[in-house]
Amino acid sequence: MARPLVVLKDSGSKDLTKLADYESVGGYQALAKARGMAPAAVIDELIASELRGRGGAFFSTGRKWSFVPKLDQNPNPHFLVINADESEPGSFKDHEILAEVPHRFIEGCLITAHAIESKSVFIYIRGEYFEPWEILVAALEELKDRPEIRGDVTIVVHRGAGAYICGEETALIESLEGKRGQPRSKPPFPAISGVYASPTVVNNVETMATVPPIIAMGAAEYAKLGVENSRGTRLVSVSGHVANGGNYEIEPGVTLKDLLYAPDLGGGIPGGHKLKAVIPGGSSTVVLTADEIDVGYDFDSLGKLGTAMGSAGVIALDERVCMVQLGIRVSEFYEHESCGKCTPCREGTRWMTQILRKLEAGEADESELDLLLSVCDRINGKCLCPLGDTAAMAVASYVAKFRDEFIAHLNGGGCPFGDSPLEGVLAPVAQHAHALRPVFA
Amino acid sequence: MSSPEHVTLTIDERTVEVPKGTGLVEAAQAAGIEIPVFCYEPRLGPPVGACRMCLVEVEGMPKLQAGCTMTATDGMVVKTARSSEKAADGQNSTLEFILVNHPLDCPVCDKGGECPLQDLTFRYGPGNTRMNFQKRTLEKPIPISPTIALDRERCILCYRCTRFSEGVAEDGELVAINRGSLSMIATFEDEPYRGTFSGNVIELCPVGALTSTQYRFEARPWEIQNVPTVCGHCPVGCNISATTREGKVKRVLSRNHPEVDEGWLCDKGRFAYGHLNADDRITDPMRADGLRSLEAISWEEGLDEAERLLRAAGSSIVTALSGTETVEQAYGLAKLLRVGLGAHAAVLPEGVPDALDAFRAPLSSIRDASTVVILCEEPVVERAPVVDLWIKAARRKGAKILMELPSAPIAGSVLITDDADAAAWQAQELGAAAAVYLPRTPNGRGVSDAWSVAADGEGADGEPALLIISGDEAAIDPAVRALAAQAETVIGIGMFGGSFAGLCDLVLPGTSYLERDGTTVNLEGRLQRQRRAVIAPCPDELAWISKLAERFGVELSPYSSTVFEAVSAALYGGISYGEVGELAPLPPRAEATAKVSKPANGNAPEGTGLRLLTYRPLFSGPAVERTPELQFQTPQGEIEITRADARSRGISAGDHVHVSSNGTTVALRAKITQELAAGTVRVAGSDAAGLHSFVEVKK
Amino acid sequence: MSLYEQIQEIRSVYPPGSRSAVLPALQLAQEEHGWLSPAAFREVADALDLTPAFCKSVASFYDMFNLHPTGEHHVDVCTNVSCALYGAQGVVEAFEQELGCAAGETSADGKVTLSTIECLGGCGWGTIVSVDQRYRRGVTAKDVPGIVKELRG
Repeated sequence: MARPLVVLKDSGSKDLTKLADYESVGGYQALAKARGMAPAAVIDELIASELRGRGGAFFSTGRKWSFVPKLDQNPNPHFLVINADESEPGSFKDHEILAEVPHRFIEGCLITAHAIESKSVFIYIRGEYFEPWEILVAALEELKDRPEIRGDVTIVVHRGAGAYICGEETALIESLEGKRGQPRSKPPFPAISGVYASPTVVNNVETMATVPPIIAMGAAEYAKLGVENSRGTRLVSVSGHVANGGNYEIEPGVTLKDLLYAPDLGGGIPGGHKLKAVIPGGSSTVVLTADEIDVGYDFDSLGKLGTAMGSAGVIALDERVCMVQLGIRVSEFYEHESCGKCTPCREGTRWMTQILRKLEAGEADESELDLLLSVCDRINGKCLCPLGDTAAMAVASYVAKFRDEFIAHLNGGGCPFGDSPLEGVLAPVAQHAHALRPVFA
Repeated sequence: MSSPEHVTLTIDERTVEVPKGTGLVEAAQAAGIEIPVFCYEPRLGPPVGACRMCLVEVEGMPKLQAGCTMTATDGMVVKTARSSEKAADGQNSTLEFILVNHPLDCPVCDKGGECPLQDLTFRYGPGNTRMNFQKRTLEKPIPISPTIALDRERCILCYRCTRFSEGVAEDGELVAINRGSLSMIATFEDEPYRGTFSGNVIELCPVGALTSTQYRFEARPWEIQNVPTVCGHCPVGCNISATTREGKVKRVLSRNHPEVDEGWLCDKGRFAYGHLNADDRITDPMRADGLRSLEAISWEEGLDEAERLLRAAGSSIVTALSGTETVEQAYGLAKLLRVGLGAHAAVLPEGVPDALDAFRAPLSSIRDASTVVILCEEPVVERAPVVDLWIKAARRKGAKILMELPSAPIAGSVLITDDADAAAWQAQELGAAAAVYLPRTPNGRGVSDAWSVAADGEGADGEPALLIISGDEAAIDPAVRALAAQAETVIGIGMFGGSFAGLCDLVLPGTSYLERDGTTVNLEGRLQRQRRAVIAPCPDELAWISKLAERFGVELSPYSSTVFEAVSAALYGGISYGEVGELAPLPPRAEATAKVSKPANGNAPEGTGLRLLTYRPLFSGPAVERTPELQFQTPQGEIEITRADARSRGISAGDHVHVSSNGTTVALRAKITQELAAGTVRVAGSDAAGLHSFVEVKK
Repeated sequence: MSLYEQIQEIRSVYPPGSRSAVLPALQLAQEEHGWLSPAAFREVADALDLTPAFCKSVASFYDMFNLHPTGEHHVDVCTNVSCALYGAQGVVEAFEQELGCAAGETSADGKVTLSTIECLGGCGWGTIVSVDQRYRRGVTAKDVPGIVKELRG
């Protein structure tokens, strides 16, 4: 299936980590073009392109930029902060962008800095991305003696230190300010008071890497791609029980089924197994059953099914997977990553894990399944940031769509799955307790 | 329709108009509606929205909102748990989650009965529990200092205490560690939480997680009485409540006077009440018995002896005052001695200038200063602790902090000085909007004024036949002790045998500020009322001074209310005792004084090396020495040094250094400070014995 | 250059008065000492004019700071959903077997600290094992003896 390439264009044929190669395919010309435009014109162009943020919230990038007060309204300097803290289970697309097209990403940062009149860019990259960090730093190093590209913009690469929550923009800002990465209550929004209490735009890596092509091809051209409300292309991470795990740049509108089965995409479910369920947009999204995958991979279509593209991490699960175990593993993740600031998330995710473990052990009755749903319901919508809410929604969706499976576990039933690959998986949150028991008795 | 300065909103169908910028919690309060909170505490800075107790429904917003983080806006329609099922469910959920791992050990919890968690659970919480797993158990209680115990099981992680440590006291000692459900409050490596204001976290804690070790298991809230009074340890005069049970002070709490202390209290004010029950407390008149010891005698004997010594000395008496007396005590003593005996001479540890009365302003005005100029040799926090919190608040609000007089006046600036001679000149030079002098004594101003107005007449020069030492602070003052050595006889008035033994021929028992009624004047010039929290183990000073006065034909009431009337007529515009009030107002500013000239620059010290400044530590003196729990707060052999001076000598924070001058060397630990000028170092007076005014510091 | 000087250099990158240098300074200290000991916290705090308590409060929030001594090498096995579907638990158990220690512990010879870790962001290439911060893709239990041998040198 022919697919247009925007973000990853030319990365197959050239080594775009090298400045020379990138320039040979027109690299940094969009920057020159943008700098020839008034900042407001660049913002208008982005609004016209209908680009929406690729981090997960899917908010209009151009409009986000337009919220930054003009320099004469607010004396504080403007900051551009890049969220390269990709940590959503199922998503590894930003990893690929940083490793494959770092210059396109940097060019996007510089164009954005021009648009929002910022002289200072912080790239907050997750600490575990050591190799992408090396590539990014090398790419920036290449710009050292290219003042015409750098302009008067300072780019600082700031490494995170292992905390999923720092992908939430206000937590990221707190972390960048040298604190514990706990989300702030909003308002004020970062556009008014972000890092160092100054106007701040926080953008995702893929969003940045999409900006130069938009300026280069023009908003109108870009907006021809995709479908309504989901324009352009989207880099989708496909993993789990598919033949070809990887990142694929697609035009929204392609169906989830294609993503999983097309030979040049997921390539189908291996080992003769049957698809059972799909997590469509990273572990924070509502699960879909195998019957629900004939759906366009775009904002509106997935929205109609009550789920979302999120950070575009598609995880395929075959029939061997126990959904209670999936619940445990996902709940353990959020329990481990809860920042501890707000009560429902901190206490609720731990309680969810406890109930799910009891269910898995066959020690629960139906009232405790209801209790699980009630706990999810009591977390959802009460938290300071989306972490707790999404944990509750995701787990509740496993029960809603696979209730029979949960029922089968009850009242001494135990786990009916003999070879679920999620059985007994040791999550970091349980690691300490695990290390305390003798392994080799 | 609202005025431009006001907004009108609807809360639970009640319409309320509040000033623009009012928080939703306060707006609801104005409408008589409670929005329950745990983490919300405006004195700690901007709201954080952590605990989720305050969830409310706001029209136009799909999700429940944290009411504490919202500002009232025009036309806002809010529903609290009273009128919204969704909000009620949200608040109930929050409490269920809080209680999931809370131990519910209320019967043995000191907070029980005055616990917001109990109260809010009663009003908004679930009546049962659905948690059927073992609750999280943790080691408890952990002494995070000798004065504070931490129970991590009870902690609901509202982060009030850590926000106080970080954002108010700025000591950075009490923090949260770990993440998620493993988060807990901690100090570094379980070292004690050492900070001048640490005890405030006990009051801030909305559950029984942080409790006072002194108060532990001492009383139930329904057995206690809280007496509103004023702290007597330093010239700030923080407003406090003394909690008593069965005639004993069991704890001291802050009592928010928004202009004076904003509800903060230093650890000396909070914990040093233990001195009331010191082993060497003097409860009877004591007569010298041999060189170092005292023997108790009856009151009749005591007064006879006092009368005999006074008559023998005639007017050749000097009275050494502490500046800790109440206005009424000082006045009574002056009546006895000045009117009865013509003994006019008195010494105070300091002169208290009235020149800054023209720059008078509430301490809270420091927070709003554009610039705070601090011209103090002693650390502000050691002399007047809460003033340091106001300065920190000003800095957080954006004020510049200068440690020297700028070359030109600065609009909106506030001067804080401990230089009595230069204060007026400094304030004029700075063009200060307000100026505060930091005296050494809690009531030096009140004592000195009361002494002055009690009679006319000048003290005679020459060596006194009799020295009267009023108060323990005077008794331990080296200058006073030197005077005592010259006097033929010495009468002491005070609380502790240790202060007076070997010094006096006769000691008459004294009382603590927690045991007496009277008034004091703080460093702002604010007249405040001390109320008797507990009955002293001896008659209070005015009672026996009046009896003694009678023997000299002087009429003096034993009641401070009556004595106050006379003083007030002379000094305080004739206001009545009752009018002083529980939250005393600040008297108006005095007329601006004429321009004063720069005082002669004494003998500016000269020398080589680093200039040594010494100070009297807050955590020292008779009351602190008698409070075992406070010993860890006393200075631990530290020398404050600037970063630049430290680095040029290869010194890092915490290094052991040798401080020497003229052959004397003292081993101290380096503490890096930003509060000193380059070229100066600072050491507690008790650690500086033998050192001269210039020292060398080496690693 | 001393740690103090390196930290001052990092500090200069960020606006004056900000605490942004805390994470990079802690990272440097950990590189130097292998873990963040109480002494390391004191050193970082001194260099940044902060308290050791604050520095530890920050460090303990993040997974990548070692608050206890660790082995020479770090093996982090991702056991989040995607990697688990590829058989991450088998990989963990193979490492436990091979190293003779449980996940969360260090091998007796002090060479390797084994941990499970949340999603490393290589979901389509699982099981991801991060060996001294470098990702190995598609690791299976079969590959484990080779990796351990390599680390034990």
